[in-house]
Amino acid sequence: MTSLRDRARGCLLGLAAGDALGAPAENLTPEEIRRRWGRLTEIEGGGTDDTEYAVFAASMLVRHGHALSAADVADAYRTEIIPSVTGPMRGAGFSELGTIEALRRGLQPPLTGLVHAHGWSDGLAMRAAPYGVFCPGDPAEAARLVEQDGLVSGSGEGILGGRAVAAAVAAAMGGATPPDVVRAALSAVPADSWTARNVVRACDTLGWSPLTGAAEDEVVEALHRAVVVRHYPWTDLAPEAVALALAAFLAGDGEVEASVTFGVSLGRDADTIGAIAGAVAGASRGERGVPSRWAARIGPVTGKCLPVVAGRHVLDVADELAEGL
Amino acid sequence: MSGDRIRGAFIGLAVGDAAGWPAARHRAALHAPWSRRLHRELDAFAEEHRVTTLPVPFALNQPVAPLRTGPSDDAEWLAWTALTIDRPRAEAFRELQDVRARISVVTALDNLAEGVEPPASGHDNPHHFDDAAAVRAVAYGALGRDPTPDAQVTNAGDGVLGALAMAAAIAQAVATGEVGGAVEAALAVLPEDTAIGHNARLALKAARKAGDAFGAVPALDAALLDHVYSYGVGAAQTVPAALALAEAAGGELSGAVAAAACLAPLADSAPALTGALAGACGGYEAIPEGWTASARTLAGCCLPDLAGRDLIELLEGIA
Repeated sequence: MTSLRDRARGCLLGLAAGDALGAPAENLTPEEIRRRWGRLTEIEGGGTDDTEYAVFAASMLVRHGHALSAADVADAYRTEIIPSVTGPMRGAGFSELGTIEALRRGLQPPLTGLVHAHGWSDGLAMRAAPYGVFCPGDPAEAARLVEQDGLVSGSGEGILGGRAVAAAVAAAMGGATPPDVVRAALSAVPADSWTARNVVRACDTLGWSPLTGAAEDEVVEALHRAVVVRHYPWTDLAPEAVALALAAFLAGDGEVEASVTFGVSLGRDADTIGAIAGAVAGASRGERGVPSRWAARIGPVTGKCLPVVAGRHVLDVADELAEGL
Repeated sequence: MSGDRIRGAFIGLAVGDAAGWPAARHRAALHAPWSRRLHRELDAFAEEHRVTTLPVPFALNQPVAPLRTGPSDDAEWLAWTALTIDRPRAEAFRELQDVRARISVVTALDNLAEGVEPPASGHDNPHHFDDAAAVRAVAYGALGRDPTPDAQVTNAGDGVLGALAMAAAIAQAVATGEVGGAVEAALAVLPEDTAIGHNARLALKAARKAGDAFGAVPALDAALLDHVYSYGVGAAQTVPAALALAEAAGGELSGAVAAAACLAPLADSAPALTGALAGACGGYEAIPEGWTASARTLAGCCLPDLAGRDLIELLEGIA
């Protein structure tokens, strides 16, 4: 029996490991990734914005619990993020800086997430895992809570991507099987959405079953054909990253190393795909499910993207989240 | 009289399209690819050598005609819309081949090819918010038709609202020639809790405070542009700029379009939308003759079949 604390630690450790593993593969094609590494299995450097924003989200949850509102999240941006953005906002995507510009203009959520063009960014999906950890076995509540965060910086499919990931983690925390975890993600978004259509298309490509070794390159290609937007230069599309990450989790049968390494082999927003796949798989398998050689590479975050979280370790954050469960 | 204003909307859009700096970049697509590669290399050279002498589209061993002042993508897509307006929209789009278009349109064409039908073709689309449909909606507004089925092929959310707003404003301008009523008609279809509805009201307020179109340029930059994203064709920015500048210029095309062309990040389409609105208010005869002469012939830089077509002749029988 895996305890909730163990699953919480596995989730955030898996997220940090997937983020770090995927970082050097971000925006590369699957062919280029294969050429450089074969299968990318070893963490080369530190994590990125995915881990630091997840730590930030967890800190808001610890403070406000289930009462967390979009106004609380906007306040946290104003008091803890904006004051340190005096020059370049390192590691931020369009949606984060767009949101900060909107807040600086005095706008309130949901307009802060609507007025910039990157409402569908995967910035919410990448940091959604703590909301699922906080609501074990309750995907609907996890989705409701993460939406409060999303209303500040995203809109439309960006919020749906966050809802899907939070719901998936909540189901995994409750011990659901991999296909049921994906179904929980789908239950948190409208069937008539880009996110739902992509998740279904990606999982249909796999036949809703684990990958059994043969012809992996062809599966990678088929997944790209199923959900990747060809004529757009940016890769941080939530409907795409979430579908690829959940497909990777399914392909790896919920096992952390298999899910994360396959997710990262897909390229595109590889660090976020790795982080999401790692978080869901980590919640499924617990801390011992994360390879110890990966865990050894995960230290406290440096705060290179969000100075306010510098020095926090994901395992301490997981313990704090688990305390209230 | 309304025939003159319908022609004014079409030619006004073409004039605005020609006035924005990106027109020459689009028209340079008619040149051999290697000439545009040289342009990119000169850009890198300027960067490397820290020279502020920046390259412009140029014709080396290529015909010079594409680089003369003239219309580009938006005028061509508007003409195509007028020519195909009686066809089912997804069917008309599916027949397009070898075209150049905005990200929303190219993605929608991919979606249609994969069997993703409207409205999903415009919704499952990273650029659902851009103003491709707003440009096409000028034809729907001028002819008093609903732009929604067309807009939903390529856009969603603010992208569709932008089309509704442009069609409503153009229809009102064609009917009355009054810019104030046209702006009100646009606002009536833009909910305040959307980005485009919020921005439209903000832009009008900023421009009214500035007092005239050129004077409003810095205020519109401050109110509408966050300068964060890489492409300036968002309907939530370009349509509000067009409404605000057309109104600030009292519906007069020269002042409105010239000011819109000064909003550099929006210069691909805001001048075109502004020109359509002001052209519909003042009518074709009020457009400066030199601009009409330069803007009425299409280059075929996006829709090759339209190369050499005359916009006014094309409208005969339609308007």
